[in-house]
Amino acid sequence: MSEYESSRVPLDHHLQALTLGNDVRLQDLVDHDALRDMVRSFHTLFGISLRIFSSDGLLLAESVTGQEICHYIGTLENGLRTCMATVSKARTIEPAARTKEVTHPCFTGAQYQIFSIDYDNRKLGKAVLGPFLPAEMTSVPDALLAVDPKIDRARVLELLPRMPRAKAEAITLICEHLRRTLDLILWSGHKSLLTSQMHLSSVRESYRELQQKNEKLQEAFDRLRELDRLKSNFLGVVSHELRTPLTSIIGYSEMLVEGIAGPLVGDQLKFVQTINDKGQQLLQLIMSLLDLSKLESGTMSMKKGTVTIAQLLSDVAATLAPKARKRSIEIECTTEPGLPDVQGDPERLRQVFVNLLDNAVKFSSEGSTIRVTAGTKALDDSSDEEGFSLLEPSRRMIEITVIDTGIGIPEDERERIFDAFYQVDSSSTREHEGTGLGLSIVKRLVDAHGGSVRVSANLPTGAVFAVVLPAANPRNQLASPRRPG
Amino acid sequence: MQFDFAAKELIIKLVYYGPALSGKTTNLKSLHVLADSGARGRLMTLETRDDRTLFFDMLPLTFQAEKEISIRIKLFTVPGQVIHGSTRRLVLQGADGVAFIADSQLAETENNAAAFVDLRENLKANGLKIGQMPLVIQFNKRDLPNARSDAELIELARRGKEPVFPAVALSGQGVLETFMGLLHRTYAGLNAQHNLKQKFGVSDKVLLDDVAKKLGAKVPVEELLRTALGGIPGAPAASPGKP
Repeated sequence: MSEYESSRVPLDHHLQALTLGNDVRLQDLVDHDALRDMVRSFHTLFGISLRIFSSDGLLLAESVTGQEICHYIGTLENGLRTCMATVSKARTIEPAARTKEVTHPCFTGAQYQIFSIDYDNRKLGKAVLGPFLPAEMTSVPDALLAVDPKIDRARVLELLPRMPRAKAEAITLICEHLRRTLDLILWSGHKSLLTSQMHLSSVRESYRELQQKNEKLQEAFDRLRELDRLKSNFLGVVSHELRTPLTSIIGYSEMLVEGIAGPLVGDQLKFVQTINDKGQQLLQLIMSLLDLSKLESGTMSMKKGTVTIAQLLSDVAATLAPKARKRSIEIECTTEPGLPDVQGDPERLRQVFVNLLDNAVKFSSEGSTIRVTAGTKALDDSSDEEGFSLLEPSRRMIEITVIDTGIGIPEDERERIFDAFYQVDSSSTREHEGTGLGLSIVKRLVDAHGGSVRVSANLPTGAVFAVVLPAANPRNQLASPRRPG
Repeated sequence: MQFDFAAKELIIKLVYYGPALSGKTTNLKSLHVLADSGARGRLMTLETRDDRTLFFDMLPLTFQAEKEISIRIKLFTVPGQVIHGSTRRLVLQGADGVAFIADSQLAETENNAAAFVDLRENLKANGLKIGQMPLVIQFNKRDLPNARSDAELIELARRGKEPVFPAVALSGQGVLETFMGLLHRTYAGLNAQHNLKQKFGVSDKVLLDDVAKKLGAKVPVEELLRTALGGIPGAPAASPGKP
């Protein structure tokens, strides 16, 4: 299937005409000034006047010496009239393409040589060479002496020989030379005209093609975005519908455990407890899914508050302490003194660090230590950003790292672990349970706080999760109450 | 095609298409050498880089035939390199016939096929169907040792629709045959469509013989056409199929 079915290449009429050569004009192929220079140089070399006309009769270039005899004739009334008649007759002579030059005689005995200027076997104009006296002429023609009763014979005899003379064979050669020179000029002109037109047309055609592809990409992009939105909606609705029956399962199993419906014995208690535990686990998953779909659809509501990082981290550590203790894992928190607060939703930020620390506990080996540190982030060494030296000091960032000595994350997986449902070990027999949602929620929550999260290796083994959050703006914190008036 | 009945002039545009380095420009150069000085114009090459065609080559041929009819044939090549797709589409505009110049080397099989698909799509983009375009195929570089065998080509040609001409364009072998094969098909198609024979009052046989002669043919056109592998192409492209 062609990609271009929908829209056809528009026909480039100009290019067509130019390549087929049926719409080429002399004035389009030559530079006027350059042609004038060439004609002048030709005139200087051969001493004979030259005029070049386009096929529509336009005089494109001329280099002419006024002949004294012509000037004298022009002072006589009859002479002027006859001269004008000769000139206008010469103008109407149009030799056909691919024909020999035409000789046009003047009553003074002088001649004009007229030939057609052809390109690619088409006539584009004509060249008029002359006047000149044929070399073989020896006497003053009677026609000249009889042109006007007042003509001065002695004057004519003096002035006529001053006109340039040329042999017929020489004129033929000169014409041929001129024809060839012009042909080369026209060919070069045509070539550059075609080249530039081709450049334009190619660019236009490439642009059209790109535009068409862009449209297709945009359509595909829009469709995908719509699908993504539907998926998020679907997740939200389904999670909500799942939660309702699950609440009953958890509630009733809790009541059974508490013995409200009578005492349970032995395995009965153990089984019902398992139902309750798994129910809780399922609820957690559904809550995570709900969070994720809210974060993705941008409907998660955030409370605006001020969070003291040291407080937050010790809370989180306390929450996970029982789970860590079970595996003899120690959690060690260090916070830089005087650390500024962070602006954000305390509950959501708590969720971020619970998820990170929970992961660390899950993947650390028994008896190891997990370190959590918080401090102001050092300035980057350099940056491509414009105005970096002005902008950077105004941004105070706080970096919190969670460092474990677990199995670590291979380098090529580090980008993808923040994708929803992504597991480094996705085999069905994997050692560690989990939904693959924790980190994607972390990333989205941190992003929503204007921060960033990245992961690196803790050598020789383990992973370092670093969360960078913008510090609350000190001007907001300090300036307002002190402002005078 | 354009014609001017008053001026008795016919302009035919023929395009040499094919994969990169298959010898399209070489075909034009060889034709330029074959044509007598009255018929050929200058071979115009637009913008080459490292001896590769960037835009196109153009060779104008003009033939004065009987009864003052003048036939102007404009031969074009397209740039073969894949990236010049937009240029190929532009050059194909208004083409009356296409000669597909394939490279006989076995290693070029895929490139030949890809270039043909490209031709089909670019014709389509110009609103033309490949089935309606007079087309001949030339297998060039027959002299290379790793070329597809004659027997195989004959078999392929017999089963295919288009006449297939063998060639060694560098030495001029098969170049005239391919050109006349294409002109024959193209003219037959135009004749059927526009009844040129009646309008010009000259038979296509006379015209084509005259063109062939001015391109240095020593034998009649039928004999040139008979060099096509696997049989003589018969019908015009408008109703393809072989006798």
